[in-house]
Amino acid sequence: MRYGFFPGCTLESAAKELMLSTKKVASALGIELVELKGWTCCGASHIQDVDDFLATSINARNIALAEQLNAPLLTVCNTCTLMLRTAKQKLDQNDELKAKVNQGLDKIGLQYKGTIEVTHFLWVLIKDYGLSRLKKKVKRPLEGLKIANFYGCHILQPPHIMGFENHLNPKAMEMVAEVLGAESVEFDQRLACCGFHAVFPAEKEVMKLTGINCLSSKKAGADCIVTPCPLCQMQLDMYQPDAQKDVREDITIPVLHLPQLVGLALGFEPNELGIQRHIVDAIPLLKKRLVLV
Amino acid sequence: MEKVICRIKRYDGVKEWYQEYDLPYEKGKTILWALTKIREELDPTLTFSSGCRHAICGSCAVRVNGNAFLACKTSLDHLLSTFETHRLTFEPLNNFKVIRDLVVDWKPKFEKMKEVKPWLIPSKDGDKSNGFRQSAKDFHKISSPTDCILCGVCASECNQLSLNQDEYLDPFILNKAYRFAVDSRDAAPEEHIRPILENGLWKCFHCMQCVSKCPKEIDLASENAYLRQATMNMGERANKGARHAYAFVEDVKNKGRLNEVTLPLKTEGFINTMSRIPFAFRLIKKGKINPFHLPKAVEGIQEVRKIYEFAQGEKES
Ligand code: SF4
Ligand code: SF4
Ligand code: FES
Repeated sequence: MRYGFFPGCTLESAAKELMLSTKKVASALGIELVELKGWTCCGASHIQDVDDFLATSINARNIALAEQLNAPLLTVCNTCTLMLRTAKQKLDQNDELKAKVNQGLDKIGLQYKGTIEVTHFLWVLIKDYGLSRLKKKVKRPLEGLKIANFYGCHILQPPHIMGFENHLNPKAMEMVAEVLGAESVEFDQRLACCGFHAVFPAEKEVMKLTGINCLSSKKAGADCIVTPCPLCQMQLDMYQPDAQKDVREDITIPVLHLPQLVGLALGFEPNELGIQRHIVDAIPLLKKRLVLV
Repeated sequence: MEKVICRIKRYDGVKEWYQEYDLPYEKGKTILWALTKIREELDPTLTFSSGCRHAICGSCAVRVNGNAFLACKTSLDHLLSTFETHRLTFEPLNNFKVIRDLVVDWKPKFEKMKEVKPWLIPSKDGDKSNGFRQSAKDFHKISSPTDCILCGVCASECNQLSLNQDEYLDPFILNKAYRFAVDSRDAAPEEHIRPILENGLWKCFHCMQCVSKCPKEIDLASENAYLRQATMNMGERANKGARHAYAFVEDVKNKGRLNEVTLPLKTEGFINTMSRIPFAFRLIKKGKINPFHLPKAVEGIQEVRKIYEFAQGEKES
């Protein structure tokens, strides 16, 4: 199994631990990730607010780079997935736009053909890799670990672009958790928005939302939140102390990246997965729940 | 499945309660069928609204199991299989004032909508007696946004609106502003757009709830992007939202990647960024950001800049 790997900007900076854990987990599973040479930022759901043709063009370039590898493009960020898939859908459905974008790409010796898929790590685990195969790789079943699966908007919505599963009642995260031996709790905010994209212009509302999201997970009895999106992870983890200021109850809850959860079940220790890098310390909890070195 | 349990949120003007009704399961029925059957056969006091029963009047929208739908357009079978249950919870739309049971009050929304002047401000190219001519291409710009039936589904699901009823306009109001702003017969697009900017345009979470749930499949997210572009073209760039979006555009052009260290500075300016120092220290301590890190340009940055040049040319042509 070989993929073109699109890490996205956060994996190079604030979410380095996601780079680390994704690579470790992929290699332990026998998934080959070939990082795209010269990939650029996907636009993070903002560039189209300035110039939508530019947003489509830079992502056409990203996808064209993966086409050269002749491998599907794998992402680990919900928003990168949405941006890349949006560009792909626009190009595949509109010949005129595709021709225009290719006119630009032509100047740099590239062509967007539309021959490869853009997919997400979570989907790959289920659809390409297979849950029974994943189950066989589990060395440390996560028994006793209660998790709140926080999907994040952009892995589900809008359904005509994402469409991996039913956006009103998705199951992917719970299916993976079950195979790893963890228990998924039911909580109100399972499909909520994290607010990350508006944290500057709408700080007050976003902090409130972070408080609600953390508290909902905590009240449902979760030990930690797990998310397939580094932006949700950043919002819920890094801003938790700020969000706490307006909430009387204690909202403290650790937030893990999905590949870190998988990594724990594959037998890696928290430090090998960069879990010590989170603002809210998850390690005491993991020591309590799992047999760690 | 033999029966469907409908758990309905009731409100009589004073108190609220949930009430359950059992219906025999019948294949191929709609939500509106269920509500009508309850009212006709089980409880005449149940109040809900519906006009056309054909997805054109917009009056029948309700929430089922936490998601807003048009009752007349949505099949019960779809909901039963989506939620894998035979028990459905009905509630009135979110982010609306409730009048009774499932009926909500549209009056405050229409008042709010007046902000964006939801009417044509006619250009000089036409008049009452001769009418207006519009090319097919121009008509296509408004054909989707004019599909809006004012059902309120988008407003019910809007995350920003849920947290901020006073300083944000409902997605259907944004759609209304867009619809007139892009109409070739309208002489004053800015008059529709400026109120949107002044009422929290940049506060949108980009959550995609509105576009995902709209029964008319109106691409509200792209419309919002258009409105944001339009405000920048009007010269409104000195706000956090515009500066944030621009920071991305510039960073990608310079290096191909985002510079997270300078992003707050570019978005908020020096003074505001200073207030984030405790936050920054929190991140530096864990190695999440390195203030001295200067990102290198990506391989092929010259090519990326050529794409920028090309896109710029397209914009101007
Ligand atoms: S994308 Fe923006 S307007 Fe649409 S529901 Fe989300 S916050 Fe509201
Ligand atoms: S935009 Fe769509 S969801 Fe919103 S009121 Fe109009 S038809 Fe309903
Ligand atoms: S009854 Fe008119 S839209 Fe449903």
